Amino acid sequence: MILSDTDRKILHRLQSNLPLVPMPFLELSKELDIDEDTIVERIKFMIEKGYVRRLAPIINTQAMGREATLAAIKVPEDRIEEVSSIINEYSGVSHNYLRKGRNKDIPYNMWFTMSAKDDEELHQRLKEIEERTGLTVRSLPTIKKFKIGVRFKIY
Amino acid sequence: MTAKTKEDIDVKLIKHIQEGLPITKTPYKDIGLALGMSEEEVIQRLKTLLESGKIRRLAASIAHRKIGIDANAMCVWKVPKDQVDKVGKIMAGFEEVTHCYERPTYPDWEYNVFTMIHGYTDAECEAVIQAIRKKTGLQDYVVLYSEKEFKKVGVRI
Repeated sequence: MILSDTDRKILHRLQSNLPLVPMPFLELSKELDIDEDTIVERIKFMIEKGYVRRLAPIINTQAMGREATLAAIKVPEDRIEEVSSIINEYSGVSHNYLRKGRNKDIPYNMWFTMSAKDDEELHQRLKEIEERTGLTVRSLPTIKKFKIGVRFKIY
Repeated sequence: MTAKTKEDIDVKLIKHIQEGLPITKTPYKDIGLALGMSEEEVIQRLKTLLESGKIRRLAASIAHRKIGIDANAMCVWKVPKDQVDKVGKIMAGFEEVTHCYERPTYPDWEYNVFTMIHGYTDAECEAVIQAIRKKTGLQDYVVLYSEKEFKKVGVRI
């Protein structure tokens, strides 16, 4: 870990909205009491070193009119690589993980999220994955959201 | 301006910046220069997109593993339908719970509430799970840990 206290302060603040003013980093410099040049330079550094993936809009797929779901499949051990590469081909797939139950066995092992421009396209793609793999895809779309806000405590 | 062209501008704007804003002293002016929009127009469109909820935040996506937050647990809970609202709110109140959703069940899948927990250590995640159990009285849950990551990218349009 090569992040300084200054970096951590900047990182913590950047998880909330960037001010929508002509000079947003100048605004941050007043809030954080760190000068503007340092802020710009440290953000560039943290992006370059991969601590920050990007400073960008976090898109609400549904509000943009897109449909999304969490899907789960039971993939035989010897087909994991093959099936994961088929799933990952789809640009609407943002996450794909192999998961196991820690305290109990679960019926599915591959979990991925998929979005599409509408419900029809979403179901079409899931059906296509079923046809290409010969496996059943369980779709678990959100019924109700209680929280979505990936902000981390940064010590 | 018609609704359709406003939407087109929004899509063009989001597509241009979804990989990252320019890290300059005047990012909105620089986006405007690239897209043939004024600085004021860029700021105004982004404000509207945030207010309408189409953009959740204009903020940093942190590589949490890289900064030491490398424990995570997807914990799924079997919650009686009439308790989902109450329980969902309790779970969402935990700082370490970053996502909390209700999802459908199937004959072979009875866990209807999903929580994603992030922490610096597995012990920290486990402590949150135990605190949720205590506060909600729920007993039937499974911790799904990620054995392998095949893909992880931000949502793009």
